[in-house]
Amino acid sequence: MATIEEVVSSVFGVERETVNERSSPETVEGWDSMGHVNLVAALEQRFNVSIDIDDVMHMANVGKIREILASYGVQG
Amino acid sequence: MEDRLEHRNKRDADIEALRRVYRQCKEAGRAAEAHDALNHLVELDPTGGTVAFAHRERGKLGEMGGRPVRIAILSSYVLDPLVPFLDAECRRAGLTPVFYVAPFNQYTQDVLNPASGLYAFGAELVFVALDVEDLFPAIRRVPGVDELSSSRTEIRATVTGLVRELRARSTALIVVHELTFTGSSPHGILDNRRGDGLSRWVEDVNRDLAEDLSAQAHTFLMPLRQVLARAGSAQEQNRKLYYMARMRHGDVALGELARYSMRYVKPLKGLTRKCVVVDLDGTLWGGVVGEVGPEGIQLGPTAPGIEYVDFQESLLNLTKRGILLAVCSKNNPDDVVPVLREHKHMVLREQHFAAARINWRNKAENLKAIAEELNIGLDSLVFLDDNPVERELIRQMLPQVLTVELPRDASQYRSMLESLTDFELLALTKEDEQRAGQYQANRQRQALERESGSLDAYLHSLEIRAEIARAAAHHVPRVVQMLNKTNQFNTTTRRYQTPEIERLVASADHRVYVLDVADRFGEHGLVGSAIVCQEGDTWRIDNVLLSCRVMGLSVETVFLKRISEAARLHDVARVVGEFIPTAKNEPTAEFYRRHGFQLVSDVDGVQSWAFDPRASRIEDPTWISVKTAGE
Repeated sequence: MATIEEVVSSVFGVERETVNERSSPETVEGWDSMGHVNLVAALEQRFNVSIDIDDVMHMANVGKIREILASYGVQG
Repeated sequence: MEDRLEHRNKRDADIEALRRVYRQCKEAGRAAEAHDALNHLVELDPTGGTVAFAHRERGKLGEMGGRPVRIAILSSYVLDPLVPFLDAECRRAGLTPVFYVAPFNQYTQDVLNPASGLYAFGAELVFVALDVEDLFPAIRRVPGVDELSSSRTEIRATVTGLVRELRARSTALIVVHELTFTGSSPHGILDNRRGDGLSRWVEDVNRDLAEDLSAQAHTFLMPLRQVLARAGSAQEQNRKLYYMARMRHGDVALGELARYSMRYVKPLKGLTRKCVVVDLDGTLWGGVVGEVGPEGIQLGPTAPGIEYVDFQESLLNLTKRGILLAVCSKNNPDDVVPVLREHKHMVLREQHFAAARINWRNKAENLKAIAEELNIGLDSLVFLDDNPVERELIRQMLPQVLTVELPRDASQYRSMLESLTDFELLALTKEDEQRAGQYQANRQRQALERESGSLDAYLHSLEIRAEIARAAAHHVPRVVQMLNKTNQFNTTTRRYQTPEIERLVASADHRVYVLDVADRFGEHGLVGSAIVCQEGDTWRIDNVLLSCRVMGLSVETVFLKRISEAARLHDVARVVGEFIPTAKNEPTAEFYRRHGFQLVSDVDGVQSWAFDPRASRIEDPTWISVKTAGE
């Protein structure tokens, strides 16, 4: 099973080792509003969930994404 | 399930490996290989994230020097995410694209304001993507008959008006997306039984647009419904994209849209392929004819065999728009010819092939010979062969040839062929429809050439007739087509599009000539064109071009004779012919010198050759009977 870090790394093409809990639009190249849409699509596909728009808006960094996905029963 | 997981893991590993290759090439400063790695990466992983990554990275690498193309996108919704997908497709075609996307919901202002960013950008191609819900929001709430009828009129006026304004200020190719309504109808299954049904209304609106746009030069309506159908409706009804970001299309749809868009980009940039070279065993029929004989091959009205008939029909259809077919097969001609001539279910016969190489030689050599025989470039060929070893050989030896990854399953052949974006024409001319037959006649000419003792005797025996005329409006599509696809006999390779040629034809300061050629074996059709700019006491020959089919007959002399005579009549002191050398127009290098022009300058790659029409004369070749229509 892929991890959230792996999804972030593959969506934005950054090296896996550079992604951590605090990775966010401020620190990852390409994580702009369009990038966020791509990230959500990739997370939904990888973890087989459909994420509520309100939650999408609150996915401010990798730690936050982990928290939100956990509420869907996903351990990434 | 486990298999699928394993497959996914392998794919992930491949993608990761490609990313590493990319990073290494980038760090080592090997830009060409880095671009190549990105091409492979987006092919393997065409997701929004990866495609956008590749697009960002291209900006950091040095450009590859591919031909530029300038593409503008005007949309009523957020279509910015199409850019990286289109970028990937253009790069795969060897182009270096530059994009302009109109600011959100400002497409109208952009079109109407002559000082807008759109016009400053100077697009060669403009895509206009309007969504029916944006043009007619009431469609979501059971509109009545009157409302539907008035909005139909309104949408037609809006879109047609927008295109007209755009056309008045730009020579770009305009491609308008068809309107689609992807939601369910509020009328359910009753929708198409009612006067206020939505499916019928959408059909009507699109028919209106098709009618108006087909009356405009250089303007197309893209069959968006057909394009999106390939992506599947689940993708298309992803309303969340719209709620979150005002986007209308997901990854798969954007990929399909970008791919379909290349059907307009490629002919505009002269990248239409001219000839499909097919293998025989395993490609046009199932089985090996040398082993099982003509009656043993799989080809007929039932399976297995029907899939090959279907594929052959699709190839035959290509010839109707001027694409040539050729055979390249490792076989004994004696085994194959009976199939081509007599097999009851063959769709393609000898006369459909413009060239054939049925022998045991290396296929790279054979493809080169075919290109030479047809007098077209290797980059005009598409190669279809079921044998992966042959495909790999051609990919390695002749990368200019488009070698298609033919599916393992022959029942996919037809749809694979029809998904290629390399056979589009912006206009179908009489010459396209007749092309296949003309290559037949060419073979007869070559036979005659072999029989004739000398070149001179051969040329005289051809009984060549040439007719030169000033171009009229109905010649424009063919002239534009030649300007954009002729590479060898093309003095300046200046590419003009329909609006510019229409203007030159109507202008009092320009002369556009067209040349029609025929001989004893048939008509070549309109095969040459010349553009002259009358600039005071100098007439500048902006371009002379000739189809490769009539090179070597000296028909080009007819242009220079007419131009110099007309110049003398107008008491013009100087005729100046320009020549811009390219990688392919070597056959034109001596054109002006041979006709007595003197090289007077060579600045920034543009040679100017001068001729005094009052002092010297140019004569038509003795073997051509020339008819001049008008001055």
